Amino acid sequence: MPTQEEKAQDEMLVRDMKAGQMEAFDKIFELYQRKIYALAFNMTRNQMDAQDVTQEVLLTIYRKIDTFQGKSAFSSWVYRITLNATYMKLRNKKKEQYVSLDEGLPNFNHAGFQNEKVSDWSKSTDSLLFSNETKGVIEKAVELLPEKEKVVFMLRDVEGLSTEKVGEILDLTIPAVKSRLHRARLFLRKKLSSYFDEYQTRSSKK
Amino acid sequence: MICCKECIDLLCDYFEGTLDPATAASLEDHFKDCPPCVSFLETYRQTSDLCRKTLTPVEIPEPVQIKLREFVKNHIQSP
Repeated sequence: MPTQEEKAQDEMLVRDMKAGQMEAFDKIFELYQRKIYALAFNMTRNQMDAQDVTQEVLLTIYRKIDTFQGKSAFSSWVYRITLNATYMKLRNKKKEQYVSLDEGLPNFNHAGFQNEKVSDWSKSTDSLLFSNETKGVIEKAVELLPEKEKVVFMLRDVEGLSTEKVGEILDLTIPAVKSRLHRARLFLRKKLSSYFDEYQTRSSKK
Repeated sequence: MICCKECIDLLCDYFEGTLDPATAASLEDHFKDCPPCVSFLETYRQTSDLCRKTLTPVEIPEPVQIKLREFVKNHIQSP
């Protein structure tokens, strides 16, 4: 969540911008361009698209600032505009891929206990983290997430926003945010498990 | 005792710290007796960490920064 000072600063900048002060826009540009670009880039994985989205969002902030009524935080408004512009980009580019998130769940027996062996690879990822192969596997897995789950995962786990803030940005209830987040994490965990299990088998054969 | 399926359904709330104390306690009881769920918990947590470390920080590349400044100058500051 933004701190009280950040919120107060945003409110002041919005007021000044509405009063026609260009310096306020310049300041907003400095404060927000990285956030806008990072979210757009992580959603599209494309530098050109992220640049286009950032430009469009800056223009929208400038043109539509009068329509911002302050019902939610300014930062939430900026994130929402960013996501709308990003969705337009994605829509123009590719057909939605349908991936079933159900495969993220483990197998349970009839009593609800786990049926399969669960290996704990969480302690052995350090040396792998910065390899390009690992990075590629993670990026690919995140890319496979359906849009609804991906956006929640990006805002909550990657950008590190609070669950409440994500709910405000996406106009979702807290349980809905958590449910999408959980599904995304289960799916990604499963993908990473396959990779790390295979990696451990590969290394032990060497 | 709660089963593994219930345990996994509660993980998100467990990490958010929003479970009521009784449910959190029964979850922790389950972990004491269930190594597969402990492995699941650790890898669930690690999944978020790994993704965050891989996907952040995103810095704006220098050529894009120049383009953005030009864009603001041409379309916003003096349209």
